Amino acid sequence: MSVATEAFVPRPARIIEARPFTSRERFYRLALDRPLGHHPGQFVMLNILGIGEAPISISCGPRTDNILEMVIREIGSLTQVIAKKVVGDVLGVRGPFGSGFDLDDFRGRDVLFVCGGLGLAPLRSLILPVLAERERYGRITIISGCRAPDAELYRDELRLWGAMEGVEVIRLVDSTDHQPWDGRVGLVTAPIADLEIDPGNLVAALCGPPVMYKFVVMALAARGVQSNQIFVDLERRMRCGLGRCGHCQINDVYCCTDGPVFRLSDLDRLPEALR
Amino acid sequence: MKPKIAFFDFASCEGCQLAILNVEDALLDLLERVDIVEFREALSEKAPRYDIAFIEGSIHREEDADRLRDIRARSRVLVALGACAAIGNVQARSNATAPAVNLARVYGEEARDRVQTDPDHWPLWAHTRVRPISDVVEVDYYLRGCPVVPAEFVKLVTALIAGSEPRFAREPVCTECKRAGNLCVFARGETCLGQVTWAGCGAICVTQGYRCDGCRGLLPGANLEAHRQILRDAGLDDATIDDRYDLFCSAQRQPQQRRGAGPGGHAR
Amino acid sequence: MRRAIVATEEATLAWIAGLANERLVDFPQTGPAGGLRFARTSPDDRLTFADYRPTVLPPGKTFAPANEVLFTFAHQADGSFRATPIIDRRPRVLAGVRPCDLAAIALMDHVNRDGDHPDPHYLARREATTIVAYRCSKPCSDRCFCAAVGSLDSDEGADILLTPVDDALLAEARTPTGEALMADLDGTPVDDPAPLVARHRAARPQPFGRQLPGSPDDLPAALERSWSSPLWETHTARCLSCGTCNLVCPTCYCFDTHDEVDLADPNEGHRCRDWDSCMLPEFAVVADGHDFRPTVASRQRHRVKRKFEYLQQKFDSRPFCVGCGRCGAQCTADIDIFDIASDVLKQHGGTP
Repeated sequence: MSVATEAFVPRPARIIEARPFTSRERFYRLALDRPLGHHPGQFVMLNILGIGEAPISISCGPRTDNILEMVIREIGSLTQVIAKKVVGDVLGVRGPFGSGFDLDDFRGRDVLFVCGGLGLAPLRSLILPVLAERERYGRITIISGCRAPDAELYRDELRLWGAMEGVEVIRLVDSTDHQPWDGRVGLVTAPIADLEIDPGNLVAALCGPPVMYKFVVMALAARGVQSNQIFVDLERRMRCGLGRCGHCQINDVYCCTDGPVFRLSDLDRLPEALR
Repeated sequence: MKPKIAFFDFASCEGCQLAILNVEDALLDLLERVDIVEFREALSEKAPRYDIAFIEGSIHREEDADRLRDIRARSRVLVALGACAAIGNVQARSNATAPAVNLARVYGEEARDRVQTDPDHWPLWAHTRVRPISDVVEVDYYLRGCPVVPAEFVKLVTALIAGSEPRFAREPVCTECKRAGNLCVFARGETCLGQVTWAGCGAICVTQGYRCDGCRGLLPGANLEAHRQILRDAGLDDATIDDRYDLFCSAQRQPQQRRGAGPGGHAR
Repeated sequence: MRRAIVATEEATLAWIAGLANERLVDFPQTGPAGGLRFARTSPDDRLTFADYRPTVLPPGKTFAPANEVLFTFAHQADGSFRATPIIDRRPRVLAGVRPCDLAAIALMDHVNRDGDHPDPHYLARREATTIVAYRCSKPCSDRCFCAAVGSLDSDEGADILLTPVDDALLAEARTPTGEALMADLDGTPVDDPAPLVARHRAARPQPFGRQLPGSPDDLPAALERSWSSPLWETHTARCLSCGTCNLVCPTCYCFDTHDEVDLADPNEGHRCRDWDSCMLPEFAVVADGHDFRPTVASRQRHRVKRKFEYLQQKFDSRPFCVGCGRCGAQCTADIDIFDIASDVLKQHGGTP
């Protein structure tokens, strides 16, 4: 039997755009040697050879060209080095990995996105294809919360999306932190109680810091949304993307191959999934 | 411009600097990449600022502490080089005995009395407590062991030059011992501190037929209660067990006497 | 049917040693500080099947070594890079593999070969390796419980199977590769090996090794019911979180990777894959510092459930614990997965 020998080898991806995005994150657009061919919600292993690799969510929707977009927070040694990279520099990419979202689960339904902080970046890979075929979905609601105004991702896009017909965008910060702010103040759970939704026809997609899920799920449950109508995008310490290294294992599932997107009802039997 | 690196020694045998000098191949490559501006074992040159300062030795006198603070202020990255700087090493055992008793034991009672009565000798009375350098200044990285592992030194310098964060796994020596395929020391009917000691040495002592005595320091969070019971079950009495821990790690076991962040914390 | 012969033990050992003339041959031998290990043999080595105890590390680990270079890289002048996978296809022979370790290799083959992401590094070594297995006549240690978990009679993956019968060895070629290798082994041809195998089995002690207080088939369900059981605390009070149980396990395959850069030329280096251990405290920590298995008990539960529930369900296979006894024997805190599995069966087995 012959097996591709490149399973662990990244391919070159040249930075064609790199800029500060928020107080903590930077935005990157990379050009690959061929199209990535990803689904919404998938991730790549981003490399600097000599430093290491880390899982990074893909923040662009599926595309036919060879472009890849991502938002990177400086949180470890790899991302600190990436932060110093400029247009023209070459990073390494393996992937795409993970199950991602299936648009068929959302079509014909009202769709609610709940994004906490950096969680908007992976969910944008789903929001974009949904909005691109706006007519195939019901009411669309996007709740996006972050720490403070200077931590908000994709502000211009959030405003544009909110101006679309049948799309409601609710932007929140935990605190204005003495900065100008034109959205609400509070947690992403707060607006859920007052949303005009038809619980029976809703599908929700959640991504945010691990602590967020429990409370959003509780708020949705209070509105009568069932756990099989909720998809969550989980964070784990993926080290290979191949379902092998064991670091991302949640009970019997590997987050990197079985997830990182899960239907919440499938997590009921996985006590280690949510904190 | 090449990064300036410097070596400073306090109370130590300077064996760690020697260990580094012994990696001749890597050292030649290293000299292509960095300027060594202070290295008592090899040359003598002074510079006002250092990119990486390696500190060998433990801190005893207040004037040593002042000198260390001065080095810290002039250094971008400060590294504890070896067990003396990282955890106080064997000399920290003297902390358990009154200074006057130590003095009398080493220099005789006459010397002890003279030191107490002669003001010129009074600074020596500051020499009452052996401290790892993290008791005095903030430490960026720890190169552990007695002596240090030259490969870890090369790894650290290479990473710092490349601008990346070197990773020193928080694992006990057992992990490296098993990867080396060694029969467990306990299976030979002997005892070992490998289960509670920071890895990074490649389990060199066990691989060479000896046991681990813990020179790299106690692993933070180690289950010492259970380890003590295992040593008791192997026939050691508590005094012997304390002796074994205290050989290298007595300062780690006297947290109440120390100030500042302990060396048990993470390498940054 | 492939070739089967009866050969003397002496002739068989000489034949194995002789294989080292043309190939890399690994066979259990006493290491420098004691303990058996699968070590490279030379044609002059005096090998023996006698006094076998479980090797410190299981033989299957040779297909994914402790610290393995996955690929080398070189940054190019134009800012790009070249990366070259390191694939080891050197022909080798792994001889003297016991049934429990053979069962583990079959499981690891499954993990690394089947599914969406086969592992080229493992598979290259595995496919270049001829396995000469050796059936056990008696338990190899007082920790052995291979029969209890159904690996005593494993033969999947063996190219040649050696079965001690009376004072001789039945050698059966199971694959074309094995048949070719066996060409140089002198002995008496056997038309039907089945009666000899039956005689070998009849001569084995009964029961063979330690027995669980219930069926291993009940363990997945019992483990599921044991989630909140205090037994996880009681069985980990003495745990040192040293990772030994994982590192010596023939079916533990978790890893981490790290990069190394050449000091002489920082544009060149390699990525290394290193054995990791889910019993180590930081194994399940995510980027923001949260630990999804923060207690020793939760990590031990995870390890045991991997062996007796998670992986066998994921791969629709036999239990991933093959009963070799290494983890218990090498745990200085005397924590034995056999004892844990026994308690799980006793306390949570049966019909709920």
